[in-house]
Amino acid sequence: MLLLLLAALLAAPAAASPELQDPTERARVTVLPNGLTVLSLEDHSTPVASFQVWVRAGSRDESRYTGIAHLFEHMMFKGTRHLEPEQFTRLVEGRGGRLNAFTSQDVTVYFEDVSAETLPLVIDLEAERMANLAVNDALLQTEREVVLEERSMRTDDDPEGRAWEALLALTFVAHPYRWPVIGWRSDVEAVDVAACRSFFDAYYAPNNLVVAVAGDFDSEETLARIERRFGAMRPAAGIPRNPTREPEQQGERRQTVYFPVRGALLAAAWHAPATGHPDGPALDALGEILSSGRSSRLYRRLVNDEQVALRAGASYWELHDAGLFHGSIAVRPDASAERAEALFFEEIERVRREPVSEAELAKARRKLEVRLVTELRTAHALASRMGSDWAAFGRIRPLAELLGRIQAVSAEDVQRVARTYLDPARRSVVRVVSPPEAAE
Amino acid sequence: MRLLRPVLPLLAALACASGAPPPAWELPPPPPREGPVVAVGRLHRATLENGLEVVVLEDPSLPRVVLGVVVPRGSADVPVAQAGLASYTTDLMERGAGERDALAFAEAVDALGATLQASADWDSMGVEVAGLSRDLDALAGLLADTVLRPRFDADEAERLRSQGLAALERAKDDPSTLAGWHLARVLFPEHPYGLPQEGTPETLATFSASAASALHQYFWVPSGAILYATGDVAHGDIERRARELFGAWGGEPAPSAAEPPAVPQARRVVIVDRPELGQATILVGHEGIRRADPQRIAVQLMNTVLGGGGFSSRIMGRVRENEGLAYYAWSAFAMRRAGGVFVVSTGTRVEQVGRSLAMLLEELEGARTSPPTAEEIAHARSLSIGRFGLGLETSEAVVWALVDLDVYGLPRDSLDTYRTRVREAAAPDVEEAARERLHPERGAIVVVGPAAALRPQLEAFGPVEVVQP
Repeated sequence: MLLLLLAALLAAPAAASPELQDPTERARVTVLPNGLTVLSLEDHSTPVASFQVWVRAGSRDESRYTGIAHLFEHMMFKGTRHLEPEQFTRLVEGRGGRLNAFTSQDVTVYFEDVSAETLPLVIDLEAERMANLAVNDALLQTEREVVLEERSMRTDDDPEGRAWEALLALTFVAHPYRWPVIGWRSDVEAVDVAACRSFFDAYYAPNNLVVAVAGDFDSEETLARIERRFGAMRPAAGIPRNPTREPEQQGERRQTVYFPVRGALLAAAWHAPATGHPDGPALDALGEILSSGRSSRLYRRLVNDEQVALRAGASYWELHDAGLFHGSIAVRPDASAERAEALFFEEIERVRREPVSEAELAKARRKLEVRLVTELRTAHALASRMGSDWAAFGRIRPLAELLGRIQAVSAEDVQRVARTYLDPARRSVVRVVSPPEAAE
Repeated sequence: MRLLRPVLPLLAALACASGAPPPAWELPPPPPREGPVVAVGRLHRATLENGLEVVVLEDPSLPRVVLGVVVPRGSADVPVAQAGLASYTTDLMERGAGERDALAFAEAVDALGATLQASADWDSMGVEVAGLSRDLDALAGLLADTVLRPRFDADEAERLRSQGLAALERAKDDPSTLAGWHLARVLFPEHPYGLPQEGTPETLATFSASAASALHQYFWVPSGAILYATGDVAHGDIERRARELFGAWGGEPAPSAAEPPAVPQARRVVIVDRPELGQATILVGHEGIRRADPQRIAVQLMNTVLGGGGFSSRIMGRVRENEGLAYYAWSAFAMRRAGGVFVVSTGTRVEQVGRSLAMLLEELEGARTSPPTAEEIAHARSLSIGRFGLGLETSEAVVWALVDLDVYGLPRDSLDTYRTRVREAAAPDVEEAARERLHPERGAIVVVGPAAALRPQLEAFGPVEVVQP
């Protein structure tokens, strides 16, 4: 079959930093007739390759059972028509490869980082499970128990996990972002094989997948193999999406979570725009000014000067349908949670009241710039950047564009976004503290 | 519902599929393409007159630079009564150096968008700075100040001590940290390995700026130290800077005080009581091997089969894949200069702790009585070689691995010979490693969780001690 090649690549605007080349300028975009998008970046600097399948389905796409996107991700390792359970993993590990998968609110991602000669194997394996997955009841029962243990470790027995789960449930009252990616326990206990199959049929269609591959390979050979192995998958007529939008928050929301802890945890969030919004870079800069490094405002005030916290930070979190600006504080066991919270909100009010200094802004810009450069180091990071951008925007944003947006942020922008979004009347606040009887 | 495509393309697809070559998993693996670990001409070494080794790995692919200095002495070289002082000293080194107090120093690092971290491990201490290569002058200056001219200001020392105490208390909220502390305490009494590298409330009470300064003066000397650089740098330029910045550095060599720990003689079973937990954290451990142990490749291959090989390992297969008892289950040998520790870990719902623990012990015993098969060893070899290559994808990783060899006095060609050594490790050596290095009958058992529910399940394994976090 012929490959349907889009314009071989993305325009290459002048780099903001003259010494920096954007490797993804050389990325090729190929769309197969069945709608599968393939992003490939040939780079021979080290003999490794990263192969990733980005599924545009996450917990926001769940309907009857929360946690099914994640539980299903586990089931993707449990065998296919031609492969025994875990044979996929053993084959890749047996060639020294690193593989895993993760599920977020918006996407589910499967990846294999392998030596160059193992790339054909992982292409064939991924195509096999995407096309011929086998799910049976016995395997689901065992894997359900594994996921419940994962939930215990990450959430039920972990104060930070509890704070995060409570914060999302408090901040979102309507949008599916309100439930945890790992799912509520009772839902995970109830998911059945039929529900897994129908989730697979709805979302694991080639026109809802993006393949991102970066590293040491020959593009023609690799694209031909991907086309041969994935080309027979049949597209879906449409991808169902939950239509719910989050209504505007009217008033502060608060929740206390009782769990025996030596040091309280505080978390706060404000609604912010979805990914790709023009205010994103100013919100990122604000996060840096508040929390990056020991000269940042929250570290200096809460950790260093007042000594009420061991950690304090805030940052912008951008999702496909919405965003949050959120902060968290690890309160010292010998300090008062009320005092820590008051200091945190004082610092938030200060960025709303007064513009940040040029020196702080320059520092924030530089940190964001260095981070972008640092993220270009590995085949895995390059494939992730391509896949993530395509899943969110349907294009790979050039590095020069990202750097340009960072450089354009002004002190007025930072103050404006703080005033616009960090309204005390529209914040949600969670405290994880010991229950009253344990605190005596 | 999926869209049913018109018949013709579907037939074409089927025809294409039937004519396609067999899937790669049905074919023998292609021969590995193994290039040199270090690209030819990129690695440069020099030694200054004061003994400082300089290692430069040039990699101009990104406009970044990573610079660091490591001394081969760490937490294990500090007396038990001062446990934690190495970490305390390195933490204090980055809180003010040269002309700058703590805040001015943090401002200088942050203004470059750089990261600077000083840290202590069991056998070494180090400072590393990373940033853009155009800032090399400033980054090298910050590194030299941190290594040579830390201020050890008294108010910073007191603040750090207070933070350290609070952090120790707060760390008890983390079950795996608690489990690790108590396993070390039980296995290595009276030895530095038996106490947290962060120290204890008792040792922290004695720390001060002058204690940190004395430790710095004693251990931070050029003899045995390594200055490393990688990224968009030229070796001649780095060597010149090394002479300018570190040429006058002096001090007497400090011998390592690390002694091998005593071997635990009998099994102990300890419950760390955390009544609120629904999942118990289980550790089983005993003494391990030294970093320079001649058997280390065989031990590593044996452990890959047992519990270090991810989903391919026996422990993961049994506890997670077959039984659904846990999300994680692994084993590892942590190798240090004077000794080491072997640990097996899993986390499972409280009511299944006895059953899960019995399985872990059976797998340890099983590795001795039914040693790794030829197929398992071949798989472990291939896995180890592949992970080795992936682990050295970045030049930072390569330079860290090279520095590690010097810290432990291992041959400098160890990275180049690693794959051959793994291929040549013989099955009898791996079997011997299992027989000699696993001791389930006397391994310590530490479980963090609700004591009331755990005790009845654990009494079958030995006399149970219950302790508070």
